[in-house]
Amino acid sequence: MCKTHYNPIHCIIPPYMLTRLMESGNKKIADLAIKSNFRSFRFRNDRIFFQKASQYEKDILGLIAKQTGKEIMQMEVYDCRQKTDLIGATLLWDSKNNQKITSVAGKNVIKGGKASWDFYWQLFGRNSIDNKGLLIRQYVHFDKGMDNAYWDGRRMIYGDGDGLVFTSFTSDIDVIGHELTHGVTENEANLDYENQAGALNESFSDIFGIMIKQRYNNQDVKKSNWLIGEKVMIGPKYALRSMKAPGTAYINHPELGTDPQPATMDKYQNLPNTQSGDFGGVHINSGIPNFAFYVAAFNMGGYAWEKAGRIWYAVLTDVNLAQNAKFADVKNLTIAHAGRIFGINSPEVIAVRQGWLEAKV
Amino acid sequence: MKIKLIRTGGFIPITKAAETEVNLSDKELASLLVIIKPDPAAPRIKDGNYYELTVGSDSTPVDLEKVPDEYRDIFSKLKSDLKIIK
Repeated sequence: MCKTHYNPIHCIIPPYMLTRLMESGNKKIADLAIKSNFRSFRFRNDRIFFQKASQYEKDILGLIAKQTGKEIMQMEVYDCRQKTDLIGATLLWDSKNNQKITSVAGKNVIKGGKASWDFYWQLFGRNSIDNKGLLIRQYVHFDKGMDNAYWDGRRMIYGDGDGLVFTSFTSDIDVIGHELTHGVTENEANLDYENQAGALNESFSDIFGIMIKQRYNNQDVKKSNWLIGEKVMIGPKYALRSMKAPGTAYINHPELGTDPQPATMDKYQNLPNTQSGDFGGVHINSGIPNFAFYVAAFNMGGYAWEKAGRIWYAVLTDVNLAQNAKFADVKNLTIAHAGRIFGINSPEVIAVRQGWLEAKV
Repeated sequence: MKIKLIRTGGFIPITKAAETEVNLSDKELASLLVIIKPDPAAPRIKDGNYYELTVGSDSTPVDLEKVPDEYRDIFSKLKSDLKIIK
């Protein structure tokens, strides 16, 4: 029961129970249940509306999430203790109190979260996920053996892995940077999570995730192996994705088979826009724009974030990047921004063109 | 009857499945599927996992967060038994 009042119907109760109470013979209980159901309906719809709203709409309507407004990183890390109840998760660490913790997963996400915040702030002057100082919330040890990490629209959630194929999804900074970048994308172009736009959404997360790792490890384009999640996947020959050679992150894996990512547009996979079709292969076809970025960044040389990263960030934050953008749209925008930043006949423009050419877009 | 839970999605798209025998009437199953039906307007979780329940040849998307207490053990077991489909 809630601490602030003592009517159980005002508390969070499961929908099936609410339905029963709404049909109760006791008028008082039924009335309360109907009101509660109405509030829940409005809450759900508000959430859906705000998730789909553009940055402009969000600005007009005011703040929708806790924002600090301060130009310092604000972060909280919670321990889910292998349960799926986020509300019941325990606060492990917060940037205000900087508690000493023993959880490895907790330490990993603090490190990855800081590296991600620093990356966006120091390179692009971006103040957190929403550029308004949003409090970064990370949840570790979610569920029993969950082999995944995700961004749920407000926070990052990590599983411990199944211990057979995957270890903790907090093990790699690029995975943490990937999830945080989903939040950045959601606050910018808010790319649709399906088909080519969805693959671009995934690709932006991989691109910024790998650069966050490269910067943390002081790796230039030659030193980096361009692998995403190499520690998350158990076994020295495996990673979750390869940006340098999509389709080779894992080959003949005893459980997973072979990495299905294509590197070039002629191998684009037309999958159904369904759950089982990965919403049109968003995690599969992202190999194509990933490869274009790799080639462009490699040809520019040096640190990826200094030139290629600037161009891709300019595109990610460009109001002309449509929610349903296709690969060709991002190609055109990256060429345009490379020309604007470095000059239309610059080696950087040539490198970007070469990237998309090799990806056959 | 035999029910099969299928999990898709994730950071890398993997399909996992587990099945079990349950003692549910057709009517009970039908009302359960209504209760655990996902909200079609809910935004897609980035890198999220999605679940389907297969009974015979019919597959229905399900939201495991909505599973009522009396069926929670069945779904917890199914979840812990999930194996990668190669």
